[in-house]
Amino acid sequence: MVALSTEKLGIAYGEVDIVKGLDLNIPEGKITTIIGPNGCGKSTILKTMARILKPKTGVVYLDGKAIHTESTKEIAKKMAILPQTPEAPSGLTVFELVSYGRFPHQRGFGRLTKEDYQIVQWALKETGMIDFHDRPIEALSGGQRQRVWIAMALAQQTDLLLLDEPTTYLDLAHQLEVLKLLERLNQEQKCTIVMVIHDLNHAARFAHHMVALNSGTIIKEGSPTEVMTQEVLKKVFQIDAEIIEDPRTGKPVCMTYDLIETKETLQTAKAM
Amino acid sequence: MEWIQNKLRKSFFIMSIIALFIIISLFMSLNMGVIRIAPMDVLKTIAGYGTEKQELVLFDFRLPRLIIALLIGAGLGVAGAILQGVAQNELADPGILGINAGAGFAVVLFIFFFQGSTASLGMLSIFVMPFFAFIGAFVAAFFIYILAWKKGVTPTRLILVGIGINAAFAAALIIFQLKMNPNDFMQAAIWLSGSIWGTNWKFVLATLPWVILLIPLTLYKARYLNVLNLGDSLATGLGADVERERRILLLIAVGLSGSCVAVGGGIAFLGLVAPHIARMLVGPKHQFLIPASALVGAFILIIADMIGRNLLAPSEIPVGIVVSVLGAPYFIYLLMRTN
Amino acid sequence: MITRELNIRSSSTQNDEDIKVTTRPFVASFILIGGVFLLLLGIGASISVGAVDIHLKTVWEAVFHFNPELTNHQIIQELRMPRAIAAALIGAFLAVSGAIMQGMTRNPLASPSIMGVTEGSAFMIAIAFAFFPGTTYLGLLIWSFVGAGIGASLVYTIGSFSKGGLSPVKLALAGTAVSALLSAISSAIAIHYHVAQDISFWYAGGVAGAKWVSVQLIIPVAVIGLLLAFIMARSFTVLSLGEEVAKGLGQRTIIVKAVGTIIVLLLTGAAVSVAGSVGFIGLVIPHITRFLVGLDYRLIIPCSAILGGLLLVLADIGARMVNPPFETPVGAITAMIGVPFFLYLARSERRGL
Repeated sequence: MVALSTEKLGIAYGEVDIVKGLDLNIPEGKITTIIGPNGCGKSTILKTMARILKPKTGVVYLDGKAIHTESTKEIAKKMAILPQTPEAPSGLTVFELVSYGRFPHQRGFGRLTKEDYQIVQWALKETGMIDFHDRPIEALSGGQRQRVWIAMALAQQTDLLLLDEPTTYLDLAHQLEVLKLLERLNQEQKCTIVMVIHDLNHAARFAHHMVALNSGTIIKEGSPTEVMTQEVLKKVFQIDAEIIEDPRTGKPVCMTYDLIETKETLQTAKAM
Repeated sequence: MEWIQNKLRKSFFIMSIIALFIIISLFMSLNMGVIRIAPMDVLKTIAGYGTEKQELVLFDFRLPRLIIALLIGAGLGVAGAILQGVAQNELADPGILGINAGAGFAVVLFIFFFQGSTASLGMLSIFVMPFFAFIGAFVAAFFIYILAWKKGVTPTRLILVGIGINAAFAAALIIFQLKMNPNDFMQAAIWLSGSIWGTNWKFVLATLPWVILLIPLTLYKARYLNVLNLGDSLATGLGADVERERRILLLIAVGLSGSCVAVGGGIAFLGLVAPHIARMLVGPKHQFLIPASALVGAFILIIADMIGRNLLAPSEIPVGIVVSVLGAPYFIYLLMRTN
Repeated sequence: MITRELNIRSSSTQNDEDIKVTTRPFVASFILIGGVFLLLLGIGASISVGAVDIHLKTVWEAVFHFNPELTNHQIIQELRMPRAIAAALIGAFLAVSGAIMQGMTRNPLASPSIMGVTEGSAFMIAIAFAFFPGTTYLGLLIWSFVGAGIGASLVYTIGSFSKGGLSPVKLALAGTAVSALLSAISSAIAIHYHVAQDISFWYAGGVAGAKWVSVQLIIPVAVIGLLLAFIMARSFTVLSLGEEVAKGLGQRTIIVKAVGTIIVLLLTGAAVSVAGSVGFIGLVIPHITRFLVGLDYRLIIPCSAILGGLLLVLADIGARMVNPPFETPVGAITAMIGVPFFLYLARSERRGL
């Protein structure tokens, strides 16, 4: 089953085409990670799938329906997105921010109903932030903050969760904390998760489905074992990688890599 | 779920304290002036047991004036809170964005073209002038929006274009002001500094409906402001039509500030400072921020009016000047602290 | 157009890279020569046009064969000439100030007019009119100068000492705040002491009231300020590439910024003292100049000076022609040109230069 898909998607920044003719299918109920070098368009594609950016050509389908035909509020009930480096106004408490996640379900003056309160409480418990409900967000650590944002997305009660580089500015422990949380949510709530991730090994470890992009086109998609190969990484990142199997998880791990000797890299090396 | 009620309780408590301050200062202000009326006498007069003189001073001069101060302070405070949310910048306010300048220009135009004939218009002119100001505010906002529009309005562009429009109206103002005769010039100068010169119940009637209508409307929109405050991407992700909501909220803000400026003149910084103080007291969630801004704004204006009327009595310092002198240093302090 | 690349060599031996900056010296020389010529023409036109039109031939005679008996010659010597010369100089001052400010802050919206200079000057003038009525013209000029300095220093200090440093929005807002504060206090004084319209006439008047004493006052400023600016030009070019880049190239940025600020205060203070509120020349001209001659400040500064002078002389003529025989404030004319340009800049959202 396909939760989210694109058909011949084309995205441009002004005159420059970033993506052309992209056909991408996101499997339902699974974790999909998107990898690729800087500037390859991963964030742009994610944002376009979330209808934050408008495509130049092509269509994005959510649950079989084209998203530009649906109201943005209806979409928000089915899909939540957490962009890169989200910012909250200073002084806002954890509870208040997570309660904003109820926005698409609210009407009128927007008073929180009993059900809203329960959902927010549930979201806070799921992410382990219930004891912090009264704290201002800026007083939290990076990992805790990220968990609060995920709690807000959870409060939206969607089946689909898109995350743009959720771990990029976190330290090792916090990165794992966030990813394990997402893994658990996927297992328990069966929600579909799509993440853009920088760290290849994390991307491979936590994904059911991986998509490797370069210059707006899919180089390879499939299971982590299919995508994390020397061949694919060479095409995507121009690196010569050594792939082994992680003794703990059984997933492919890029143990070490070298730059590929091309004419350009040789010249740069000489100049240094 | 008791702990959820704590924040609510705390915020209500704080707002009640401010309301109490307002009531106290109201009495103080009613008391002070060339003719002093003790608080007990104030109450007696309102109940109908005061002397004729007291009734005159109270009902014809001070009370309407203070009620207007209440309304304008609340209106500008809320307008400022809205603009800061829409511009995603804690340093926005109707004065900086040129909405006040537009209103001022319209008023100056009015004084210039009807100079001398204001006497003949009499009562009518007292209403026409605020009406002009109101129109001026909308025209300015219209220009700002159109010029900031480039496939949508970003907050930064809004601010920068606002500053430009401000400069444009200021220049136009100077041209007309210099052509006026000294009396008209003084009138314009005083109006531009912001003064609650409408010591008339009719002005209360002019402003009341706008403030009474638009502030609850803003509360209705509070959750949209909350979500806009998170940035355009998240706001869209949560299901808000960002462009549309910005437009609606801007209109509300212009309506509020236009009606307040029409009667009170260009009171700068109130719309800036009130939301900030409110934010420090109750936090950025707009369901609390909006009412708190209204209360703080009203309080500041009543105090400023009290100072303006009594400091150099019998001469009156326009209230806008008092607010500027108090507000600008605070604004500068904020500027240095924020990023 | 012939474009060359200016190589800036770093003083450290490790970094072999040359940083290239576009520059068009051919265009610059054209502007300098042609500009001076146009400027002289403009001054001449300015002298001959006005409430009383005077023939250019008479102007020539008045300058070189002055006859104190003829009223026309009197008008020319006492009123028109100082006015025209002041316009040229002040236009140059404002343009150069703007160029330096934009280069130092790397901010395309920086200009003397948002620096609180006018309001600072007006503030001191209000005090002068209210508390020391009867101050001589020269005295007023000096007061005004001091006030301008105060206003600008306040804005600059606030901007520099705030968290995050100077950004376009921050500078504009700091300028607005300081302007509003000083303006409010000035209004209070003005209204209370009934000098409101006098003040407005003073500082919206422009160069209309310029006398020889004003020119005499600003010539030393011209010499010091503009000369300093020419000398520092190369440093400004380096600084305009960015604080970190400049430091990496070995420049002592604090000194350069300090000297730059002093130059701006001198030039702008003098300009505002004599001409009052003349907005936007400092904003608009540097952009045009950069567009024409490139990014080398050794060319930008002289060319801005010439173009700025030219613009103000022409605007001043315009100010006289709009509503004869009344004077329109020249600040309004420059705003008419400047505001659309400012709005264009705001829309393009370019952060750098």
